[in-house]
Amino acid sequence: MILTVPFMARAMAELALLALICGPVGVFVFARRLSFVSDALTHTVFPGVVIGFLAGGVEGLVVGALVAGLLTAVVLTLLTRSGALSDDASTAVVLTAMFSIGVVLVSRESSYTSDLTSFLFGRLLTVTPRQIVETAVLAAVILAMLAIAARPLLFRTFDPAAAAAAGYRLFWLDLWLNVIVALVVVAAVRAVGTILVVALLIIPAAAARLITARLAAMAVIGTVLILLAGYGGLWISWTASVDHGIALTSASAVVLLLVAAYLLLLPLRRFLPTRGRSLSRGATPPTRKDSPHELVG
Amino acid sequence: MVLRFTDTSVGYRGTPVLTHVDLSLEAGQCLALAGPNGAGKSTLIKAVLGLTEVLAGTAQVFGDAPGQARVRCGYVPQVGDLDPDFPVTAAQVVLMGRYRRIGWWRPTRAADRRAARDALDRVGLAGEAGRRFGLLSGGQRQRVLLARALAAEPELLLLDEPFNGVDVVSQEAILTVLRELTKGGTALMLSTHDLALARDVADLVCLINGRQWAFGPPGEVLTADQLRSAYGGHAIDLPDGRTVLVEP
Repeated sequence: MILTVPFMARAMAELALLALICGPVGVFVFARRLSFVSDALTHTVFPGVVIGFLAGGVEGLVVGALVAGLLTAVVLTLLTRSGALSDDASTAVVLTAMFSIGVVLVSRESSYTSDLTSFLFGRLLTVTPRQIVETAVLAAVILAMLAIAARPLLFRTFDPAAAAAAGYRLFWLDLWLNVIVALVVVAAVRAVGTILVVALLIIPAAAARLITARLAAMAVIGTVLILLAGYGGLWISWTASVDHGIALTSASAVVLLLVAAYLLLLPLRRFLPTRGRSLSRGATPPTRKDSPHELVG
Repeated sequence: MVLRFTDTSVGYRGTPVLTHVDLSLEAGQCLALAGPNGAGKSTLIKAVLGLTEVLAGTAQVFGDAPGQARVRCGYVPQVGDLDPDFPVTAAQVVLMGRYRRIGWWRPTRAADRRAARDALDRVGLAGEAGRRFGLLSGGQRQRVLLARALAAEPELLLLDEPFNGVDVVSQEAILTVLRELTKGGTALMLSTHDLALARDVADLVCLINGRQWAFGPPGEVLTADQLRSAYGGHAIDLPDGRTVLVEP
């Protein structure tokens, strides 16, 4: 079996840790409609990764990612708070600005171009034992942060006006969740890269939602999907390169399998009851108040 | 005294939405906020919760500044603002009313689940506990939101258009619960543009449209003269002396 090869076993261990955090966090990203915010975070972490690498080599990478991720979490929360910009517009501004800084930094040094691909798409097969320990620590922090605030976050996501009325500070809850997402990106960035991590956060929860409407079940199914796609992706990339001489990066094989799982589950959606959806289509569409501070009646 | 507003102006970011509010509410009373769309009804409810700024005058909730006594207030938002696709059950929604009591990381206790179940039973939806919120009818969803507020056992309950798009069965169920609440000493403040309903259900009516036009018992407030001044061009006098309100 491929897992008897040490570097494959390490890659699988790293993916298992990521599955453990991306399953539950993905549920909140999906429910809170933060897909675009997570996408932005993956892009804004990019200059941090580059600066960290330039300053401290591979070891500096995580620190750089951490600083950039936390900074973005704060900036995004502040920008959406004022209500001056919609979530989408402010996110896009931060995303493009930070990503271009990363590209400028990388292109200044021609020797880093080969590493650009690993920043963007990760290096799953060169995961070190130390890296696994770091991911495990981050995973523990992320799960603890999620456990502490799961109920308020759920309340705020479902009904921001009532959560504010109950005394919850929406700004801090939004910042809390954005920091959690930033930490997930940091944890995943070396293994799967800044671009593919967004797939681990969004696709499993979206696929799980196709077959269940229960939040806890969505988290579990999301984790299981990443585990299956992780193992399957490693096996496919191994078989492709060893048996057939085709260079297929493991992380992209994992993501391709996740997308395939989503597409396979898509037809199952019709078996879920959808009365609410058909009702709202017939009646006037509900005016969604996505911005946390849109409380004007 | 549950509420006391004295020549109060409320609004957002320094811009007043509603001015000259003079009202008071005692335990066991029901106050209806009446006025056309955009009159400032929701703003006034949020002012009680401390979610909008008090720009002038004074506002007291349970003798304190608004927002200080949120644990004693319950809030029922407009059901149309919520996403029907959101994956939560009716029971989970009602349990949200207990979150402040449960705290941040403690597990849900049996007492909290019992309180949530009782609240759902009180609005006549005990049988729908496990159903997804979005699969319930509009009226049932409104009752679930009422149950969520009841689960927090508030002394002042604020309801934002609780009868909007609600079927007759749900409206009766809600009205029954509201009458029980006032009998038990809970103070109610609800916004509605249904003046007939306001007249039936409320002890006090506050007529607003950008400013307060009248406050007092329904019989004194809901008169043709007052309505004409509050509704402006939307009040039409019929030849037989009656007044009809037209809302866009």
